[in-house]
Amino acid sequence: MVDPLIALLTGTGLILILLIIFIPQKGLISRLRRNKRNEKRVLIEDALKHLYSCEYNGVSCSIDSIAGKLSIASDDAAKLLANLEQHDLVKSHDEDIVLTPDGRSYALRIIRVHRLWEQYLADETSVGEKDWHFSAEEIEHKLSPAQADALAAQIGNPVFDPHGDPIPTSKGDILSKRGITLNSLMPDAYAHIIHIEDEPNAIYSQLVAEGLHVGMHVRMIEATKERIRFLANGEEVVLAPLFAKNINVTTVKGEPKIEGKFKTLSSLSIGEKGKVIGISTKCRGQQRRRLMDLGVVPGTEIEVEMKSVGGDPIAYRIRGATVALRKKQAERIFLEN
Amino acid sequence: MKQTEQNNEEILSLANNLRWDLGQGFHDQLMESIFANATTIAQRSVTTSKEKPLFSFDRALDRIVTSPVFGFPVMFIILAMVFWITVQGANIPSEFLASILINDIHPALKSFAGSIGTPLWLSGLLIDGAYLSMAWVVSVMLPPMAIFFPLFTLLEDFGYLPRVAFNMDNLYRRAGAHGKQALTMAMGFGCNAAGVVATRVIDSPRERLIAIITNNFSLCNGRWPTQILIATIFIGGVVPAELAGIVSAAAVVGIAVLGIVFSLVVSFGLSKTMLKGEASTFSLELPPYRPPRILRTLYTSLIDRTIIVLWRAVVFAVPAGMVIWLVANVTFGEESIAQVFINWVDPAALIIGLNGVIILAYIIAIPANEIVIPTVLMLTVLVAGLTGVGSGSGVMFDAGSASATGTILAAGGWTLLTGINLMLFSLLHNPCSTTIYTIYKETKSVKWTLVSTFLPIVMGIVVCFFVTQIWRLFAGA
Amino acid sequence: MNTNKLELNNCASCPVHNVGNLKKLGINMSDYDYVVALAGNPNTGKSTVFNNLTGLKQHTGNWPGKTVTRAEGGFEFNDSKFKIVDLPGTYSLLSASTDEEVARDFILFGQPDVTVIVADATRLERNLNLVLQVLEITDRAVLCLNLMDEARRNKIEVDVRTLSKDLGIPVIPTEARQNIGMQELLNSINEVASGKYICKPYRMKGKSKELNSAVEKLSQKIKLEYPNIPNSNWVALRLLEGDQSIIDAVRTGELGNIKEVKRAITEDELQSEDAV
Repeated sequence: MVDPLIALLTGTGLILILLIIFIPQKGLISRLRRNKRNEKRVLIEDALKHLYSCEYNGVSCSIDSIAGKLSIASDDAAKLLANLEQHDLVKSHDEDIVLTPDGRSYALRIIRVHRLWEQYLADETSVGEKDWHFSAEEIEHKLSPAQADALAAQIGNPVFDPHGDPIPTSKGDILSKRGITLNSLMPDAYAHIIHIEDEPNAIYSQLVAEGLHVGMHVRMIEATKERIRFLANGEEVVLAPLFAKNINVTTVKGEPKIEGKFKTLSSLSIGEKGKVIGISTKCRGQQRRRLMDLGVVPGTEIEVEMKSVGGDPIAYRIRGATVALRKKQAERIFLEN
Repeated sequence: MKQTEQNNEEILSLANNLRWDLGQGFHDQLMESIFANATTIAQRSVTTSKEKPLFSFDRALDRIVTSPVFGFPVMFIILAMVFWITVQGANIPSEFLASILINDIHPALKSFAGSIGTPLWLSGLLIDGAYLSMAWVVSVMLPPMAIFFPLFTLLEDFGYLPRVAFNMDNLYRRAGAHGKQALTMAMGFGCNAAGVVATRVIDSPRERLIAIITNNFSLCNGRWPTQILIATIFIGGVVPAELAGIVSAAAVVGIAVLGIVFSLVVSFGLSKTMLKGEASTFSLELPPYRPPRILRTLYTSLIDRTIIVLWRAVVFAVPAGMVIWLVANVTFGEESIAQVFINWVDPAALIIGLNGVIILAYIIAIPANEIVIPTVLMLTVLVAGLTGVGSGSGVMFDAGSASATGTILAAGGWTLLTGINLMLFSLLHNPCSTTIYTIYKETKSVKWTLVSTFLPIVMGIVVCFFVTQIWRLFAGA
Repeated sequence: MNTNKLELNNCASCPVHNVGNLKKLGINMSDYDYVVALAGNPNTGKSTVFNNLTGLKQHTGNWPGKTVTRAEGGFEFNDSKFKIVDLPGTYSLLSASTDEEVARDFILFGQPDVTVIVADATRLERNLNLVLQVLEITDRAVLCLNLMDEARRNKIEVDVRTLSKDLGIPVIPTEARQNIGMQELLNSINEVASGKYICKPYRMKGKSKELNSAVEKLSQKIKLEYPNIPNSNWVALRLLEGDQSIIDAVRTGELGNIKEVKRAITEDELQSEDAV
């Protein structure tokens, strides 16, 4: 019989080794998979995407900006560009680099997959907001146009991604840029966030951390060169203009509802009633649809009926039915004051 | 024709453009307007009495079952009663069925087969193998299920179970699961396959998968007899006789509770790793209480749950019975296949505190946990070369009493450690084939079926390994 | 082919269901005269109604959402044979879940002769959500207002006649668990199926301005191409939601197979009445 101490040590060691190899995300296997990324095709596709984004935003691109964007050396970027030109995907006049129609439709195909995937993650999964972009950066090089179409069909052929960007159709049509940047919003004007740029990530995570999201209403307080001050979430948010530039808004007439100014369903106690004014846009996908199917729509009166033994979930009377909701959900349902 | 196609495409592209104009709040607006219409219509035809009734049965009952003081005690009492009635009520019919199917019909079939000159191998394969395993499954499985499922269904019909889910959600939420998993787990104590089917009431994809994968940690009624027998022999055997009953019962309950703990821990782990990205929603409707219709419930729960589950178990048990007979009777040189296999896995099995017999029994008894103990006994007799006990090679049998079983197992080299490990392994091993098949039918995914099959068995091996080695380290045995 | 169509249009009691599509949906109609779809919110006693009508004994618990697979059965009434299909219980027909797709596609493409919507009388307002959605798709429906006993117990009164007038379809109060109201329900199903009762279903009003104009625009375009479909507004709505099965139906021209039968007759009848 083996000495138990030796057996224990070997067993523990074996388990640790297996964990190191197989654990999701941080394990050796998933690392290996990720390292395979830097292939030539990926670089080509990323470069096309970058060129397209310059074109869409009406700024000019250079070899340096490509190099910076793809984190490669300028020499490599120049070689890449030559390669693209050879394949008739881009043309360069003097300093200007422009996409050919072929190059544009290639770029749009990649962008379509990217945005579809983000919408899929946002709508059909519980993957966190900050992980959407990275996941999409990988998937966009993997799905064929046919797979992209199947994905689109599965999630109801969305026309916007969760950041508010239009998703190109399978034929390559895309909605032109909408709205104005938050910086150019007049003081005291009400607006509706229609787009939050998800790159660079440092800025995006900051905006997410502030609780800003597409569909939200804001009111400008002041916009100077140093800072942009506005009302969102019922409180003041201050952003540097560099950050605010990444938010696109459309102005709204009248005085719309601003989130956070209102009390939430979770603030009611037993026996109290409230009238729904809206569901936070953070509650999305299946969960949002389910709530609305149950009758949680603006105008619905909800009464708190009873608490469970632990105090969460709580049962509410919604349009004649008793429905239990967790605290986290109730926090996302806004009521009239 | 061409024209039509073009028009169709035009319709679609117009739709697409309009969608871009409408923006993202479209679905919300639509739902709002439907409900606005619904409100208008309802207001015209529905009148609700303004004054609240002085006493509402529903409210009063809800106040008790969700009360912080009485809520859980009421739940434990009701569930304990259901289990008690099941265990007590199933004993007599189980023994009755066993005495008819195994003690009377089996020998009768054998002598009939002998009288018409059936070759020995054929009567062995069909009667000792196929028939006997089927008889075993039916007599052990049918009575408890025929009692447990109707009782459970009555509680369901009455509307109490959603309240249990409501109360338990707090705990299950922390484990990343849905409160209704408490019910599918409870159902799993009757039968894991039925528990897996019951997960249909969980409408959130992630939580449903969690409930399916962890259902196997509920000790199903095919495994209770194993637990009770082994606890009586080995755990009851080391304490003074007057305490034996209580201690062995506590050990069995301890294993069941350990199963619940494992299911919560695994739920938590799954929700944080493999199932992190799966969609998750929560909503739980609490229907009004309704008087259950007892006769109807008895009828439908028998048809819907008991018979279907039993049928599946029988379908899987018949070939397993044949395999059991074959491995014990087909020889490979001097020894039967069973002996060759057992000798081969014995060293590895001893490291995790089990033995080759147990491993082989669990492999060939995948179709039904009910036949594990009879198979173990048959194989032990075969391997240890005992004479005077059992009914011949390949014929499963019941030793009659716990002490007789204990004697056979002791002769097979079993110790207290083997007993403990068998109890753990019986809790933590792959689901039976009926359950595996049901998981596949419910998830329609090979991946999740494989995960649900191999996760518990890997856990079982790991747990038994550590228990054994730590035991040896301290007990030196 | 054309004569066949004419015949259909001139026969008030002829079935309207779409045999080709029903076959595709896996329903065998060879021995039946009419097909009835059974829709409803979860936990409204839909399956009890189904069992009462067919004599089948399918278990359903006091749980939302128990019937997961589609059940079928048959019954005979006044010498007509009815096939009844129990659709999955859903709160709505607008979301992306499989259950809702099954129910939606069946009602739209199968064109059942009657769609019976089972509603819980104690939560009528929420149940109306589904009722209104069904009425957007089909012209032939019966509302089975179930659990009237529970409503009475909770002191909720429903004015059945007003409701029926508002919705434009027969409304039958029932207590399915006690088998009360089933004869009346059968009667209504038969009347609607045979064209004796002509529904004038409520169509939703008061959508927001943008929504209305978008639906209007798209629906115009659809009507131009498919003048015969009875529910162009609803098809437009589904296209605006990006429903793949409708997109496919438009792309393949399948949508043209969904024909309005009942309306044509009503108008004919009205005209003949005018002439008299």
